[in-house]
Amino acid sequence: MAEPILQTQSLTVTAGSRTLLRGVSLSIHEKQVFGLIGPSGAGKSTLLKCLNRLLELTPALKVSGVVRFHGESIHGPTVDADALRSRIGILFQQPIVFPKSVFQNVVFGVKHLGVIQKSALPEVAEQALREASLWDEVKDRLHQPALRLSVGQQQRLCLARTLASQPEVILMDEPTSALDPKSTEAIEQLIVRLKKTHTIVLVTHNVRQARQLADQLACICLRDGAGEVISQGEPCDVLCSNCAPEIEAYLAGG
Amino acid sequence: MHRKLIHHGFRFFTGLCALACCSVLMTLIWAIVQRGWPAISWRFFTEQILLVGADGGIFYNILGTLILLATTVVVSTPLALGLALLHGVYLQGNRWRSHLTLLIYVLNGVPSILFGIMGFIVFVHYLDWGKSWLSGGILLGLIIVPTVTVALVERIASLPSCYIEAAAGLGLRQSQIIRFVILPQSINGLVTGTLLGLARAAGETAPIMFTATIFAGATVPNAVKESPVLSLPYHIFILAQDSFDPSVSAKIWGTALSLLGIVFLLSLIALPARLKIHEEAHHG
Repeated sequence: MAEPILQTQSLTVTAGSRTLLRGVSLSIHEKQVFGLIGPSGAGKSTLLKCLNRLLELTPALKVSGVVRFHGESIHGPTVDADALRSRIGILFQQPIVFPKSVFQNVVFGVKHLGVIQKSALPEVAEQALREASLWDEVKDRLHQPALRLSVGQQQRLCLARTLASQPEVILMDEPTSALDPKSTEAIEQLIVRLKKTHTIVLVTHNVRQARQLADQLACICLRDGAGEVISQGEPCDVLCSNCAPEIEAYLAGG
Repeated sequence: MHRKLIHHGFRFFTGLCALACCSVLMTLIWAIVQRGWPAISWRFFTEQILLVGADGGIFYNILGTLILLATTVVVSTPLALGLALLHGVYLQGNRWRSHLTLLIYVLNGVPSILFGIMGFIVFVHYLDWGKSWLSGGILLGLIIVPTVTVALVERIASLPSCYIEAAAGLGLRQSQIIRFVILPQSINGLVTGTLLGLARAAGETAPIMFTATIFAGATVPNAVKESPVLSLPYHIFILAQDSFDPSVSAKIWGTALSLLGIVFLLSLIALPARLKIHEEAHHG
């Protein structure tokens, strides 16, 4: 099998004397959807933010262990964390749109990365909005405030904003948990389509979603107060395994 | 029953506090308008002082005060921005933050006459500027720095951290996050703080009386050294202290009314901008 695009080895996150994540080792392969499931508070979002060094915005948390992107440690001395984050984009649980117009939101990241001419921005915005299946809905109100869009549209706008920077990996932190069923379906269809061109790490609470979308799945549960990977592999193996009582309890809604 | 009585009693008391403050303000405004209005005329605003304040107008006093206030904004804005960003973005530990907060409050507590003395020593003597509009502006700027900083710090602290996370997640550098996320959304705090500060600075007499302003004879400054300006508060101070001429009395009140008018006008000018910022921040 090809070398994984993202890999973690013995990744541990601590907050003072408390351990949040313990010894997480995962291999995420290119152009796949890698699902992360597990109960609330098990550290799924924390793990996700380790993968693009976004966790460093919270200085109280200490990360140890290795995260490799294309085989190279992301904590290496020559790695620029900001540049890394533009290659590993993130989509949050709640859509975070800036109090600006739709257009300004889409180009917010790419404009400041300095890789694209200003005159090319409208084209980039259109392409990103099309990729996020939002173009037809917003093409006539690109210059209206983005906060007037529905929550489902806002989440797709956030996805378009991330896509505009052309990341290789997109981290998604429960991207549909704040959305209605129709918007959820739209995002799920997008994930299936985006898989052809991007690697996606999807944190979800929704077992159906994990089963349907993920090519590989890892289940993170609490053991001795810290999140650990209990099981990983093909979704049907992880979700059917009877080996770990934590997974059974989680699947049973406990 | 007892509890209800305390509740109503307390509510009555808080209402009384508000009433007391409002009535002081209203009485003050009414007294100034009533006494100052007769002095207000076109000539009053366009002529210079004549007959030691008994005749003529306060054109150069208004201009001087405006020059001082403009300098104040130029001095206070970068300092307050720097302090607020240091507090809200760069200082990570709570200990250093609380040290900085203490420093800001101590600076706020320094009596303005001490700023005047400091300015007298540093600008008038050490730098040998004599009386200069620039030293007055710098001192007033320093005086309002805490007010502007506190308003900015509060605004930055109330910014949802998710905005910063989202911008960082797109690969923006910290300097870009400050420039494109934090500052645009904190501008409201800067405007509010500056207005509050300017309202105070406009009336300050102590820091400028030894350093920047004289009673008569100054027009538009064209240098830094030996370039004093006239000002509204010093004009009121000198006339009220030294003049026994009853015809001057109307001029004093007229000057006070003009000072009040400038402060209100500043707030009014910034109002549309503030409302617009508020709307953008809350409703897109």
